[in-house]
Amino acid sequence: MHEFSMAIEVINLAQREAVKNKANSIQKITIEVGDLSGVDADAFESALGLLVKDSILDQALVTLIRTPGLGRCNSCNDEFEMNHRMATCPKCQCFPSEINGGEEFRVVSLVVE
Amino acid sequence: MCETCGCGESGEFRIHDLHHDHLPEHEHHHDHEHHGDHNHHHDHHHEHDYEHSYTHEHDGVTHTHDHPDQKVINLNMDILSENNKLARLNRRFFEGRKVLCLNLVSSPGSGKTTILEKTIKALIPSRKIAVIEGDQQTLLDAERIEKSGAPAIQINTGSGCHLDARMVELAVQKLEIEYGSVLFIENVGNLVCPAMFDLGEFKRVVVISVTEGEDKPLKYPYMFQSSHLCLINKSDLLPYVDFDTEKTISYARSLNPKLEFILVSARTGEGMEQWYEWLEKQK
Repeated sequence: MHEFSMAIEVINLAQREAVKNKANSIQKITIEVGDLSGVDADAFESALGLLVKDSILDQALVTLIRTPGLGRCNSCNDEFEMNHRMATCPKCQCFPSEINGGEEFRVVSLVVE
Repeated sequence: MCETCGCGESGEFRIHDLHHDHLPEHEHHHDHEHHGDHNHHHDHHHEHDYEHSYTHEHDGVTHTHDHPDQKVINLNMDILSENNKLARLNRRFFEGRKVLCLNLVSSPGSGKTTILEKTIKALIPSRKIAVIEGDQQTLLDAERIEKSGAPAIQINTGSGCHLDARMVELAVQKLEIEYGSVLFIENVGNLVCPAMFDLGEFKRVVVISVTEGEDKPLKYPYMFQSSHLCLINKSDLLPYVDFDTEKTISYARSLNPKLEFILVSARTGEGMEQWYEWLEKQK
């Protein structure tokens, strides 16, 4: 449900950047959503699609980059891919001792005009 | 900064200091249209592009335009950066006043407010306490807290499902927090969204009760991963329910090895001394 808040946040962030760069419009926005970020990428995309109308992002091409999670196994110390929070090491079935990727939720770049 | 969930309009939340009893009234209209045009790429990253009325040709991956007026801004900016910035300011404010700020999170009905009532009665006047209450509607919890003897302020989030750093910043301006106080922020009862929002707290305390399933930590891993202490409440009901305390602790520790646990009953007082000792240690 917080994906709506996040979409509003992205529009506000884009608006601030547009003003800062004296841009009239935003042509493209690239957003990275990690699989472990706590943001449902599909719900976020739907929310953003609904909310961009009449905003600075109305005309923008939106690209979502989804990055997989990376955990380091608590037992064998190998790094393994995690597509959700409860993913365990495929070799040892252990939870990770640290998470080294997939928690990103950020605006990567904007193309403004 | 976002104030609500499921709502594209801002300014919906209300902060009540119990001296104004107006209830929020608000209506929303959403009649947006969305035309999706999806391209999927599966090569380690998944990319989704959707276009609105923009008519340029795009190849769906990073590219540059040759329009002379176009400019690429490489931002790499955290989308929650605005909230995190405000949370850092809140934290600095609390540290400067030696205020121990704790964010209490749980599902609805775990007993957060009762734990706070008992804590206030036990610790005041030796410890100064203030409370920020977060609920979608009503002033009921703030009224209960004030009856227990601590100043309280109520944030009603309207349709929102969590508190954010700006709401806390505004609430703090209205609530006179004395130097050296403990400030409890009772978040909206929800184990999902509040996990994402740093309020500027020193530590996060997750409350679960023995009437809930012992698999709660596995079902809501974000909350248990981001918390420092887990209070397992309603221990007086253990003889009547099938709750396996050890199993809950092992599930939660598998996600967060540093998580501490205290088994309490706010009703009978069992374990509450340990909780007060934990509070003392946080100075």
